[in-house]
Amino acid sequence: MIGGSRTSRHMISVDLTSMIDVVFQLIIFFIFTSHFGELRRTEIDLPREKGGQQEVQQQPAMIIDIQRSGVFFVESRETSLAEIERLARNGLAISDSGGPKFDVLVRPDQHAAAMHLDRLLVRLSSLGVTSWKIGTVVPDGGGSQ
Amino acid sequence: MSIVWAKKGRTGKRLRGRTARIGSLPLTSMIDVVFLLLIYFLVTANFAQPERDLPSALQTDGEGARSSDLQPQIVEIRMLDGAPIFVLGDLAVRTGEDLRVILEQLPKEAGVAVRSVPDAPISAVAEAMQASFDAGFIKRSYVPRDEN
Repeated sequence: MIGGSRTSRHMISVDLTSMIDVVFQLIIFFIFTSHFGELRRTEIDLPREKGGQQEVQQQPAMIIDIQRSGVFFVESRETSLAEIERLARNGLAISDSGGPKFDVLVRPDQHAAAMHLDRLLVRLSSLGVTSWKIGTVVPDGGGSQ
Repeated sequence: MSIVWAKKGRTGKRLRGRTARIGSLPLTSMIDVVFLLLIYFLVTANFAQPERDLPSALQTDGEGARSSDLQPQIVEIRMLDGAPIFVLGDLAVRTGEDLRVILEQLPKEAGVAVRSVPDAPISAVAEAMQASFDAGFIKRSYVPRDEN
């Protein structure tokens, strides 16, 4: 039975410790990176409204932040209206060629003047964007739907 | 797949059978990682406030009756004494809640269009959109002012 004990010895040497370590490290890595992807939304004092119904939410094609001063940000980078127009045009072209519907989420500072929103939306509507969403946060102490 | 975990007992003899298989599962690294995950979720739990979306259509001036002969209800946001007011025909109200009460009594087929003076805060726009949403309007549009 010497041969049999040799086989057992081979099985005994299977050590999953390092495997589990690595797998969990990978899980942590992917959790972190996916979360940071969402954190690219800049911190903005959004209007306090309960918003629409929580349906199955798809990630908007373009997220535009408007700061109180009227400066626009796309993916945490200051972006001019001309650049936003170019990005939107590209997004619409992808949508027209069978891609997902191009929709825009605007995340404005609640104290920003409406003229900044108007400047942006006039540009977008001239390109053919017909629907948009405004980002809100649920006010404290209620507003659940 | 059968993995046999073996361990030597205190006497130095190799343990056999079920005791040996169960007793020697290495949990150290598992516990390490579980605690790391726990710490991670504790730290990131309140990273950002949950956000919601308030959807609406985008309408340009002069296209109000494109899809229907009915005229939409027009909510105009103006400024009075440094605060926004919502004007609907001859009526003017100060809060979104009052606007919602008025909108609820109006026919909803033609929808509602919101427009604002340039210096009104965007929060007032959101408030008007929320009021029309809560009042049950399906067609909600915002009409931006073209400065050109």
